[in-house]
Formats: sequence, structure tokens, C-alpha cells
Amino acid sequence: MIDSVLTGFPILSLVLWLPFLGTLLCLLMRHSAVACRWLALLTTLSVLLVAVGLFVGLPAEAGWLLSEDYTWIPSFGIRYSLALDGISLLLICLTAVLQVAAVLISWKQKEHPALFYALVLVLETGIIGVFLATDLILFYLFWELMLIPMLFLIGVWGHENRVYAALKFFFFTLAGSLCLLLAIISLYLIHGEQTGVYSFAFETLKQTQLSSGVEMLLYLGFVLAFVVKVPLFPFHTWLPDAHTEAPAAGSVDLAGLLLKTGIYGLIRFAFPLFPHAAQQSLPFLVVLALIGIFYAAWIAYAQTDIKRVVAYSSVAHMGFVILGLAAWNQLAWEGALLLMVNHGVTTGGLFILIAMLQERTGSRDLRLLGGMWKSLPFFSAFFLLFCLASLGLPGLSNFAGEILVLLGTFGRWPLFAALAAAGVIFSAAYMLRVVQGTLWGPLGQVCKLGDKGCQHEDLGRREWLLIIPLALLVIWLGLYPTPVLEPMRGPISLMLQAGGLP
Amino acid sequence: MDSRLLFLLILLPLAGGVVNACVGCRLPRKLVAPLAIGTVLGSFILSLSCWSLAAGSGTQVTLFPWLSSAGLQADIGLLFDPLSASMCLMVTGVASLIHIYAAGYMAHDENPARFFALLNLFVFAMLCIILADNLLLLFLGWEGVGFCSYGLIGFWYEKPENALAGRKAFIVTRIGDLFFTIALLWLFSLFGTVEITAINQRVLELDPGVITPLVLLLLGGACGKSAQMPLMTWLPDAMAGPTPVSALIHAATMVTAGVYLLCRMFPLVSLSATGMAVIACVGAFTALYAASCAVAQREIKRVLAYSTMSQIGYMFLAVGVGSVTAAINHLLVHAFFKALLFMGAGALIHLAGDENDIYKMGGLRKKNPLLFGLFLVGILCLAGAPFSGGFFSKDAILLAAFSRGDGLAACLWGVGVFTAGLTSFYSFRLLYLVFFGEYRGEHAGHKLSPLLIWTLPPLALLGLFGGLLNLPHLYGGHEMLSHWLGSPSTTEPPFVTEIGLLVLMSLFFIAGWLPAHLLYRNFTGEKDAPWRRFLLQGWRFDALYEQLILRPYRFIAQFCWIAGDRGLIDGVVEGIGRTMLHWGGYIRLLATGQISFYLQGFAWGLLLMLGWLLLKAAV
Amino acid sequence: MIVPFQHLLILASLLFLLGLMAVLVRRNLIMILIGVEVMLNAAGLVLVGASALWQQLDGQVIVIFLMALTSAEVSISLAMVVYLNRRKKTIDIRAFDELRG
Repeated sequence: MIDSVLTGFPILSLVLWLPFLGTLLCLLMRHSAVACRWLALLTTLSVLLVAVGLFVGLPAEAGWLLSEDYTWIPSFGIRYSLALDGISLLLICLTAVLQVAAVLISWKQKEHPALFYALVLVLETGIIGVFLATDLILFYLFWELMLIPMLFLIGVWGHENRVYAALKFFFFTLAGSLCLLLAIISLYLIHGEQTGVYSFAFETLKQTQLSSGVEMLLYLGFVLAFVVKVPLFPFHTWLPDAHTEAPAAGSVDLAGLLLKTGIYGLIRFAFPLFPHAAQQSLPFLVVLALIGIFYAAWIAYAQTDIKRVVAYSSVAHMGFVILGLAAWNQLAWEGALLLMVNHGVTTGGLFILIAMLQERTGSRDLRLLGGMWKSLPFFSAFFLLFCLASLGLPGLSNFAGEILVLLGTFGRWPLFAALAAAGVIFSAAYMLRVVQGTLWGPLGQVCKLGDKGCQHEDLGRREWLLIIPLALLVIWLGLYPTPVLEPMRGPISLMLQAGGLP
Repeated sequence: MDSRLLFLLILLPLAGGVVNACVGCRLPRKLVAPLAIGTVLGSFILSLSCWSLAAGSGTQVTLFPWLSSAGLQADIGLLFDPLSASMCLMVTGVASLIHIYAAGYMAHDENPARFFALLNLFVFAMLCIILADNLLLLFLGWEGVGFCSYGLIGFWYEKPENALAGRKAFIVTRIGDLFFTIALLWLFSLFGTVEITAINQRVLELDPGVITPLVLLLLGGACGKSAQMPLMTWLPDAMAGPTPVSALIHAATMVTAGVYLLCRMFPLVSLSATGMAVIACVGAFTALYAASCAVAQREIKRVLAYSTMSQIGYMFLAVGVGSVTAAINHLLVHAFFKALLFMGAGALIHLAGDENDIYKMGGLRKKNPLLFGLFLVGILCLAGAPFSGGFFSKDAILLAAFSRGDGLAACLWGVGVFTAGLTSFYSFRLLYLVFFGEYRGEHAGHKLSPLLIWTLPPLALLGLFGGLLNLPHLYGGHEMLSHWLGSPSTTEPPFVTEIGLLVLMSLFFIAGWLPAHLLYRNFTGEKDAPWRRFLLQGWRFDALYEQLILRPYRFIAQFCWIAGDRGLIDGVVEGIGRTMLHWGGYIRLLATGQISFYLQGFAWGLLLMLGWLLLKAAV
Repeated sequence: MIVPFQHLLILASLLFLLGLMAVLVRRNLIMILIGVEVMLNAAGLVLVGASALWQQLDGQVIVIFLMALTSAEVSISLAMVVYLNRRKKTIDIRAFDELRG
């Protein structure tokens, strides 16, 4: 029943359910792979169009820019309420861009293509829903909705060790999500007992009075779910396996988007709902993040599978993001969220390039590859660009976020910031090892297996179309991040105030 | 001249680099090099014509805001003041000559577009370092030169050693960059700004205890880029790159970036006596270390690499004893003659049929007398022959060290003088081994392209007459550079000291030349000796770092992976899984499949329920 | 009533227990079914006695229903016993353990 519509046209619902519509159409047309492919592309492009339109059209202010609110299940106080602010807007744009990339990189999907694209589109709905929902049950619904398509994407279309990786991913995140559900329901009941109003709406639940012990418990429930997704050391071990065994689109979505949902949940729900517990937990978050940065970078150095190196690098970068969040000031938060967006683009690009490499050589092993610059010069140039962006070369994307995080964190925890800065050496070490093993040196053994082992065609038209926008984004975000920083400025200062004083 | 034209200084090489990178392979070969040369030459001409803008406190222009967030405002902005203008002129001038040289050197290479793109991007990044008005843009250039150096050292990537040398350079310099980053973070938290002029003007506000660590951090950053101890192991290996790269990056520009940083932040650096002392010590000892290693080197470019390290040590010494002018003076003159020497070395390697080993050269004086003459000029400047440009600049440094008066400075002065003698020795060793005696090699030489020879005379002239840049009053000069940089010398050192120093330096020059003449004039071969091997391997620092740092690093990486991730965390997770399966196994025993067992279950259940109901009713 | 109600209850419970014993202890499927029959009849006995005690016909009506349902149930059970015998050539209850975990 439509209770109140706060905007003339439910554009948020449009953005949310458009991919789902695409899914249904895909399933209807499942006998024609070509139709499904183009349908998926069309759907993701339209979502991108709407997202960019919102980005350009909406002003960069604090507070909710758009919202929708309908009753859904009144007997439990569950409403269908969506809301958009600057941060969600940025993340939705990122989602839109990366999903187009994911569809394009999976263009040659041979096994059950209709189902594949359908799952990718459902995943998009889930992710956008996570970024838009402000009713806790609705949020939880979309949170879980992200898991199932990912499970199947990894488990059915993945690489050698896919079933183990899919199950590990699923159980890790499910365990966290169940804690989240418990905490949500407890909060609902406590609020209901206190005020007599039983509601799952975020704004309502924010006003619950909680004793510090209960607050800490509930906060831990929330945090556990998000921190597994981010991931924070030591809850990260699902990530290397999941990223490595996932197909290209799955890796792009995992690294580019799913990790960001964890951070988003932290800043949108966990911190504002439980401000005192959040403040108390910040030192622990910092220490775990710092350990994660070094630990993951160290392990990345020992890997021989390129995808695993990039997976561990994601853990390290997310450690940086948590470090920035824990510093609790405007500069560090802007850096952390900027780094989030940067990392999505950079790592998404890296996974796409690795997929292209694997299509041509059939291998991801550093010891077998080598000398790709000679046979694939354009590919190698882009690969080098994205690797440099990942290791934080100034002027390219990741640096802008990292330096803001470091500058902001230094004000609060100078020692930790200095230690985190040392992480750049480690990232140079493993990234250059990847570049060394892939691009330089004599032609790798994998290509000496004769012609059937290697194709040496450089980038095709579709791949150019795919990689150039991402490369331009990398350079743009590195040199002129202001358009991305402005929308998030207002929401960040609101969140910092609402969360209480450091 | 419009100050906004200053942006073309950095944008021209950037444009050249980007064009060559993106479409260079499609362009005809003949267009690639001229495009690159043209952009750098354009920057050179521009810096000449904008010279007047640099006088006094210079001109500051902003292009667009790069990073602006709460309290942080870092723009793409340039500061064109005397220091940066002189460096800019030198960099663009030497770079133009080297680009022209490279056009000849890389004439037969299959990938000139990539080379010239990287070379242009390098000039862009170096100019960012020099012209930046805030530390973040400087850092962008700082890392940019690191990347371009990586790409250029490993340019001939098909040999893995080259790529490995590039990687080593990148990582060692990154360790230095870490210190610079921490200094940058600290400066921002203290001042709330990263603008260099603002920081330099407000340094007196700082608490004294904070200044020394800051200076040491900046020194750390400078050491990485300038290959001073202990971050110097990358420079000799960097000679794996093509010779124009060595000439540009590892002689004139990137390695001087550290000196430039210290000079740029001199108002901050000079406030800490400890910091200055450490800088001077690092400089002096690196100079000695590098000179000693150069004595035993066999590859021509490695000799020059160690000699670069040594001369930069002198520049650090100059900064440490408080004379920015002496440091910059030596930097400029050294750039000229070292570039000359490297380019000459490239020509020599060509002449000797791609042979690097000086033991296998010899008698090349007869093959190309012009090259000999030009190289001789370079060697004379390096060795500090009286009245050459190198002599004046080195003399200025040692004079500054001597006049400081305190014990440490005197010690370092002694080290500097001794190193000058060593410098003379290894320079003439190089000269004699390459040009005199009989040709000891097996290959026939290649013909030299005119580009390789005719770019050298300008540098030779600049090196020889470089003394005129800052001619002391003793010789009737006006110390132009001191005045230009805004720090004219206020006190005249005593006449006796100056003359005494002059005589001493000349004596050490001859003391270095004589043994070289006797030993190497007619060279028959050298015995291998443990001390020679020790010096050849750079005092075995590489082996030390391998043991102390690299091996533990790899070990910890494996350990974290196998024992940490797989063993501990996954062990816990999989352990929980296994435990659940195990307990499930126990519960499974209840599912016997026997119907009588299930029926018994019914009966017992019924009994329990009835019993409970009856008890409840009874109570 | 001809006999005190307690006697009836005691008889019914004894019968029930005997039936339960038969179900639990016997190995032959048909004997188990007979045990079930005995338990059903014990319940029917209580119902008839209660009907006599409270002078209401409901109990007896239920027993008539019970007899009808029991016959239906028995016919199906015996059919299944025949089928099971055909499968495993025995009607020893220990042979049918395929639901074992």
C-alpha cells in the first residue's frame, strides 16, 4: 500500500529494480545466449545512465538527497524505505560502472550464459539495495540477497578449487550475517519495550536508549557482519580463495563492490546506532587494520598466483580504509571513502586484465608467465598502469585516497600513521613482483607449449572499450578527485557529529 | 613574460611523453625522437625567457586544485624562484642535449617510442620536483622519477637482470620515500599546510625537539633518491639501463633531487645542528665509500656510477656545513661534466664493440682523438684539476667545511680532501685504462653516429668554465650564484686559508694522478686480491642487505602464509567444521535404522511426558 | 456398572502394557501389528467403560469408529507386510534398517 511518496517519480526504486527486471527477462530468453548478453549489457548501461544522471543532477549537500517510503509489513513495523545521500550516490555509480565492466568481460561465457547474466543482474540489485535501504530488515534482505548469486557464480563458473572457495565465502559471511540479524531483532525488541513503537526504521532505532553493556553487544553483532565483509584481519581468509576461484565478473564484483558494502554498513548503521561502543572500539579496529595491512602485504609477496596477490592487496587496501575510518576526522574519512572508490576501480581493472591474460595464456602463475610486453604491448601498458595505481603512485587513483587517510590519521595516531605509511614499501614489493613475472623477462614457459598454449592477439575492440574508461577513471581520480570528494563531504561531517566526539 | 607560461614548462614534456606513449608506435620512426627533443628544448627555451620572473622571491602560479579536503589544500602550482630556476635551466638544458644524444644512441632500437615517452615523462616528473610549490606535488614528481627510472633501467626487459635492477632501484628509493612521507605527514599536522614557502617562513614556530627528527626524516628521503648510505645499493646496478638514461637520471637529475630537497627545505634543515651534522657525515662517508669502490671497478659505467655517488656525497657535505650555494654550484657543474662523461662512456662502449669492461679497452685515443679530448675535459673536472669547473666547486665545499671551525667539520674536511685524492686516482685510472696503451679487446668497434659526439662539446665547455658561475673574490669574480640564490657570503675567509687550500687541493690532485700514471699508463693486467674484490662488490653491502633484510622478508612472507593464514586462521575455521562433523558423527549413532529402537524412543518419550504431567498435577 | 471402574482401568492398562511389550520386544512384524491391535483394543475398552460410567453413548460410538478404522489400517498394514516380505524375504524387523544414518 502506498503510504507516502516523497519524490514525484520513484527513481530510487527504478535504479534498484531495473537489474531485477533484466534478470527476469534473461531467464525468459534463456535459450538465446546472444539475446541474454545484449540484454544484460543494455540493463547495466541503463542503470549506469540513471546513476550518472543522478550524480550530475543532484546537489552536493549533507542529508538525504532522495528518499522513498512505503508501508510493507505493518504488523512488524517493516517499511520499504530507500534513501540516497552523497555516499550512497558515489557507491551506486561505482556499482553501475563495475557491473557494465563485469558484463563486458564475461562476453564469451559459454556455459549456461543466461543463468550467469541473470545472477550478475540479481547481484546488482542486491548491492544497490544495500546502498539504498534505510529499513533494517530491508537492508538485511538485500545483504543476504548478495550472497546467493555470488555463491553460485563462484561455485559453478569458477576455477579449479571453486566449490571450496564458494562454501568458505558463504559460511564466513553467513555467520557474520546471523550475528547481524540477532542484533537487529534485539534492537527492535528493546526499542519496542522502551517506547512502545515497534519499528525497524533506521532513524527510529537510532533513538533507542541503551546501556553500555547491551550497546557493546549489539554493536559487536553489527560489526562482526561488516568486518567479515570488509575484510578485517583475522576474518579475511575467505577472500583470497573467493577472489582467486571466482570467474572474472565475480572477482570484479567481489573486490569492487562487496567489500565496499561492509564499509558502508559500518558507517551507515553500526557507528550511528551505537556511538559510544563505536568510539570504544576504534583502537581495536586500528590495530587490526594495521596488522592486516602488513600481514596481507607480506603474504601477497609469497604468492605465485596473480589473482591471489591482487586479492591479498585488497585486504591491505581495506585495512587502510578502516584505518582512516578509525581516525574519526573529516580528512581521514574523506580519504577512506575516496580510497574505497579508487580501490574499486583499480582492483576491478586489475582483475579484468588478469582475466584477459588468462584467456590468452591459460595461466595465472607468475613462474610460468613472462615477457608479455613483447607480444601484448597495449595490454601490458594498461597492466602496468593499473599495477602502478594499485601500489600508490602519486597522480594515479589509490594515492589520492591513501595520502588523505595518512594525513588525517597522523593527526590522531601519529605512530600508526607512520607505520601504515611503511605499507607502501610492501605494496611496491609485491606489485613489482607481479609486473616482473608477467611483463618483463624472457617469454614465459607457458607460451613455449606451442601455439595452442598461447594466443598473442593484443586487445580486441570490446576489450579496448572496456579498459579505456577504467584507465581514464584511474587517472582522473588520481589527479582531480574533487568531484568525488564533494558529494561525500556533507554526509561525512553529519556522520562524524552523530557518532559522538572522539 | 606572462607567468602562466610557466606551466608549459612542465606540460610540454608531459604532452610529449603522453603522445609518444599513446600513439608513438603508430608514428613514423623519424618523428618520435624529434617530438621528444622538441618538447624538452621548448621547456629549455621557455625557462631562459622566463628567467626574469625568478628574481627575488620568485613567481608562484597555480593551475588547478588537486587535493583539497578538510584543511588540506594541495594544488598543482609552481614556484619559480632563483633556486628552482637555476635547477630548471640545468635540467632542461642537459636533458635536451641528452635527448639529442639518445636519438643517435637508440637509432637501431626497436622500441624508440617507449624510450622517448619514458624519457619525456621523466623530465616532466623532475621538473615537478623542482618547480613544485607544495610538498605533495613535489612528492608526485619524486615518485614519478622513481617510476620512470624503473621503466628506463629495465628498458631492455628481455634480460631479467635489467628488470631486476629497475625493481631494486624502485624499492630502495621507496624506502627513502617512506621517510619523506612521514616528514610530510608530520609537517602537515604541525603547520596545517603543505606549501613550501609557508612552511619555510614558519619554521621558527616549531618546538626545537621536533626539528631534528623532521630533518632526519627528510634526510632519509633524500638518501634514497640520491643513493647515499645506507640506501645506495641501487645505483651501481642501475647502470644496466641504456647510457642516455644513466647520463640523464643517474648523473644530472634524479640523484640530485635529494640535494635539491634539502636545499629547498633549508630554512627548516638549518635549524637543527644535529641534523646538519648527520647530513654532513652521511655525505662525507658516502663520498669516501664510493670513491674507494670506484678504485676497483671494471665496468666503465660502474666507475662513473660510484663517482656520482661520491660527488653527491660532497653536495650533502656542503648542505651539512651550511652552504647551499656550494652545494648547488657543485650540483650544476657536476651535472655538466658527469653527463659529459656518461655520454662519452656510451660512445666508448660503442667504439669498443659493446664492451663494458675497461680491462678489455685501451688505446682508444688513437681511434677517436676528439672523443679523447672531450672525455679528458670531463676527467679533469671530475678529478678537480686546478681552475677547471670541478675544482672551483669542490674547493668551495671544502672551504666552507674548513671555515666552520668546529671539530666535526674539520674531520669531515679531512675526509673530503682525502676523497678528492682518491677521486683523482680513479679518474685517471679510468682515463689511462681506456685511452692509453694497446687495445686489449677482441671486438671490432662500431662507427659512431655524429649525434653521439657533437652533443658533448657544449657540456665540455660548461664543465671547464663552470667555475665562472660562482668565481670567488680571490680570483676577481663576483660570486654570481651566491647572490642569485640570495645568500651572499658575508665573511671572507682569510687569504692564507684560501691559498693554502688551493695548494693542498692541487697537491692531492697530483698525488692521485701520479700513482694512476705509474700503474695504468702501460697496463698489463691486474692481480685479483681480496681487498679488490671487497671494493668491487661495494663493500659487500648487497650481500649484507640480502642476509639482513631480504631473506627474513621472504621467510616471514612464507611463514605468514603457511603458518598464519593456512595454519592458524583456516585451521581454526576448518577445525570448527571438522569438530561439527565429528559431533555429528556421534549424534548419527542415534539413527540406527532399527525400527524397534525408534519404537522404544516412542515408549520412553511417552513415559517421560506422562510422568511430567503427573508430577505437575501432583505438585 | 457391573464392575467397579478401577477394575476396568486396571484391565485396560494391563492390556495396554502387554500390547506395548509386544510392540517393543517382538521381532516378527505381524506380532508387532498384533501388539498395536491389542493397544488399540485397550483404549477401546476404556472408552466403553467410560461410556457406561457416565451413561453417554459417545464412547461406544467412538469404539465402533475405531473398529472400522482399525480394519482399514490392518488391511493396509498387512498388504505392506506382504510387500516387505517380497522385498527382503523375511519379516524380521531387524532387516529393515535402510534409514540408518
